Amino acid sequence: MVKQTLFAVAAVMVAFLLICGCTGTTTDPVSGEKQQLRIATTTSLYDTKLLDHLTPIFEEKYNAEVLIVSAGTGKALEYGQRGDVDVMMVHDRAREDTFLADGYGTNRRVFAYNYFVLVGPESDPAGVKNVTPEAAFTAIREKGLTGNSSVIFVSRGDASGTHSKEQAIWKAAGFNYSTEVKGSGDWYQEAGTGMGATLEMANEKEAYTLSDIGTYLAYKGDLDLVTIVDEGDILLNVYGAMQINQEKFPDVNSTVAKDWVNFLISDDVQKEIASFGVDKYGQPLFYAAQNDWEKIGVTEAEVKNPIA
Amino acid sequence: MIELEGVRKEFDGKSVLAGVIGRIEEGEIFAVIGPSGSGKSTLLRLIDLLDTPTGGEIRIKGIDIHAERERSLTIRRMMGMVFQKPAVFNTTVSENIAVGLRFRGADRGKIREKVEEALDMVGLTGYGERRARTLSGGEMQRVALARAMVIEPEILLLDEPTANLDPVSVATIEDLVVRINRDLGTTIVFSTHDMYQGQRLAHRIGVLMKGGFAQVGTPREVFTLPATREVARFVGIENIVDGVVVGENGASVVDAGGVRVRAGRLPGPGEEVSLCIRSEDLRIAPADAARAHPGKNALPGTVTAVVPRGPFSRVAVDCGVPLSSVLTWKRVDDLDLREGSRVVVSFSPESVHAVRRD
Amino acid sequence: MYEIIEGFLEAARLIVTLDADVMAIALRSILISLTATVLGTVIAVPLGAAIYFGAFPGRRGLINLIQTLYALPTVVVGLLIFLLISRVGPFGFVRLLFTPTAMVIAQMVLILPIMTGLTISALSGVDPVLRDALRSLGATRLQFFANVMKEARFAILAAVAVGFGRAISEVGAAILVGGNIMASSFASSTRVLTTAISLETSMGNISESIALGIILLIIALGVNLVITAIQHR
Repeated sequence: MVKQTLFAVAAVMVAFLLICGCTGTTTDPVSGEKQQLRIATTTSLYDTKLLDHLTPIFEEKYNAEVLIVSAGTGKALEYGQRGDVDVMMVHDRAREDTFLADGYGTNRRVFAYNYFVLVGPESDPAGVKNVTPEAAFTAIREKGLTGNSSVIFVSRGDASGTHSKEQAIWKAAGFNYSTEVKGSGDWYQEAGTGMGATLEMANEKEAYTLSDIGTYLAYKGDLDLVTIVDEGDILLNVYGAMQINQEKFPDVNSTVAKDWVNFLISDDVQKEIASFGVDKYGQPLFYAAQNDWEKIGVTEAEVKNPIA
Repeated sequence: MIELEGVRKEFDGKSVLAGVIGRIEEGEIFAVIGPSGSGKSTLLRLIDLLDTPTGGEIRIKGIDIHAERERSLTIRRMMGMVFQKPAVFNTTVSENIAVGLRFRGADRGKIREKVEEALDMVGLTGYGERRARTLSGGEMQRVALARAMVIEPEILLLDEPTANLDPVSVATIEDLVVRINRDLGTTIVFSTHDMYQGQRLAHRIGVLMKGGFAQVGTPREVFTLPATREVARFVGIENIVDGVVVGENGASVVDAGGVRVRAGRLPGPGEEVSLCIRSEDLRIAPADAARAHPGKNALPGTVTAVVPRGPFSRVAVDCGVPLSSVLTWKRVDDLDLREGSRVVVSFSPESVHAVRRD
Repeated sequence: MYEIIEGFLEAARLIVTLDADVMAIALRSILISLTATVLGTVIAVPLGAAIYFGAFPGRRGLINLIQTLYALPTVVVGLLIFLLISRVGPFGFVRLLFTPTAMVIAQMVLILPIMTGLTISALSGVDPVLRDALRSLGATRLQFFANVMKEARFAILAAVAVGFGRAISEVGAAILVGGNIMASSFASSTRVLTTAISLETSMGNISESIALGIILLIIALGVNLVITAIQHR
């Protein structure tokens, strides 16, 4: 009896291994098997469930299977650089440019944008409601440095796109991030984790933090944080998708990757993006990039032309 | 059957056996007795090829068993061994007993038959399907004995097999040992620190001391005619008196610090000897009632202690040399013996066994 | 406080109603860790036996090393396997990163030292008298090894259970090489109990986290009960 059971367990194991082995080692479309698309995405697109919303449509249409690894932009870029994924979806123009220039990525398209918001406790201890982002950051730093413990800023601290944006704002406000902000006092705390977790942390500490509007809205129900600053050109948040360069990594799945990027900028999906979350949050989490290319400062080709 | 030829064994440079010489005959029960740490287990382990001697030879049927490693399995399979600590494999009693047969590739039917026989032999009929670990120590040791016997060894080695058992189990195991030897003709070598067990079971006894056999002989020889002072002490002779042989009136007597003792057989004058006298051979009588026995030793002395010992009392007397005897309580009362009583201790020269001192 | 109570109630609902997502994650966790344990056993037990029965220079040192590796941090294993199987790594061509297979490998590597070490301990724990008994009963070398292992079987089984417990409860390696993927097919997903708890908590889905945590706890308790039961044999 015991032996039979053990044998059955062993058989299941072997079968499972074989399944894993097959799906793990083959991604070429072999005899009707689904193609696999590996995406490294910034957490905001995942945590807001936008991708959960889009992938079933794509899988249905292209008979593909989408595997999403959610990580900060920095980590996503790392996966891309190692050739571990087929497509990257990130929001850090400057680093994307480097990535493309280094030949790791190719065919970037911009499919969505929204704005970063500075969120914080309703009491607003730094008194920065509705000032410019740069002024708000300056004030938070000053109050923080005085040792007024009620003013805290929680940073992503994880080399993500949001973290990049935060650093850009510090720079625009006239500070040297690494010498005058990071590590300058207890007021500045690095979470080293995703957007959702960072918001939770800021909420616990009644602190300020910079968030993309999408994640903030998605989490708003659980948070006591309110929007403090949401206007200013510098808060623009542009999401791009790009293929990993097949010339660099010959075995990436470039066909289905191309399909995915083109899918994102297709008219139907742009509409889906623009309306995503409206029913739940009363406002969209993302704006479609298609018709706003001038506003967000990218070329028309980047939002409209499908990859050939 | 087994010849021990200067067998030596050292552990980490410490000598345990220093040249054991001896011979165990086919079909006999040979007891190795000796105090703890004298190397009894080591000797048995060497015979069973569980350890390798540092020097010397062990021959079984004329073959040096440690000479060729390839043959060691064949040789070991001639023997069965039971260890001091009752230990069973964590399985059923039957499976425990079957282990040796399985090693020899016996078929199932034969194994079942043999195991049943063995269970009957050790009185554990019907215990076959029990988990061996649930048995008592005595039962486990019987399983161990059945396990060793089921392979029909020519030689059975028992290393203090009853050391940790209750008296009933001891009796059962002892009975089995005698029966195995008698019915199957198995040569049995067992070790024990219990000299009476050696006496009960063995045809011959080897007294292992200081790394070698101090004496090998029948139980009677060992108990009445110990070869050395140490053997005498080990076999429980309480009165050991050291002295020197001197001539007196043309006969030899022993001078023990001024006290003269006559003995049956003595070496020549000038030899240093120890006199061994069993307590039961001593007679104690009050000094006033003592009658002279010509030719007997009669030493006057004073009682120094009367110590109860079971149904008897041990009476110690200082006669210039310390002597003690064992008397019944009634006898002690009749003679009115107490500390300080003046007495005469008498014993025949024939009951005095003299050994040379080195 | 309210959040915790609510979380527990929701968790109970998810478990009682056999919520498909939760059950899939739990099942995947068990399958991956069980596979890693079975493979680990196939390697660790013979390896442990070879080290225990073997006589070679450096044996003592090797055993010390193995015991030191008990404390191998899971993220270090994760990082190591990640670097090996990432596409630019030496085994990148196999394309294992972000697959359940990768997690199986990482967990197996993680539990190999402890399973090997505990196998050695299990064999050392066999009564020396029984070892003598086996030899005196005329065991060949092979019969001797087999029977010593048979005698240590419950302790070895406990070693296996310990390995499984460590595999299923680790998160560092699973998230690094698995990527915590929830795909549409069961076999492509790499989300297991620990990584899901980590993610769901960061996403504020406390009730899912609690439900998954309870399941993980039940599995861990079950494993411990098995170990205790085995050790009392």
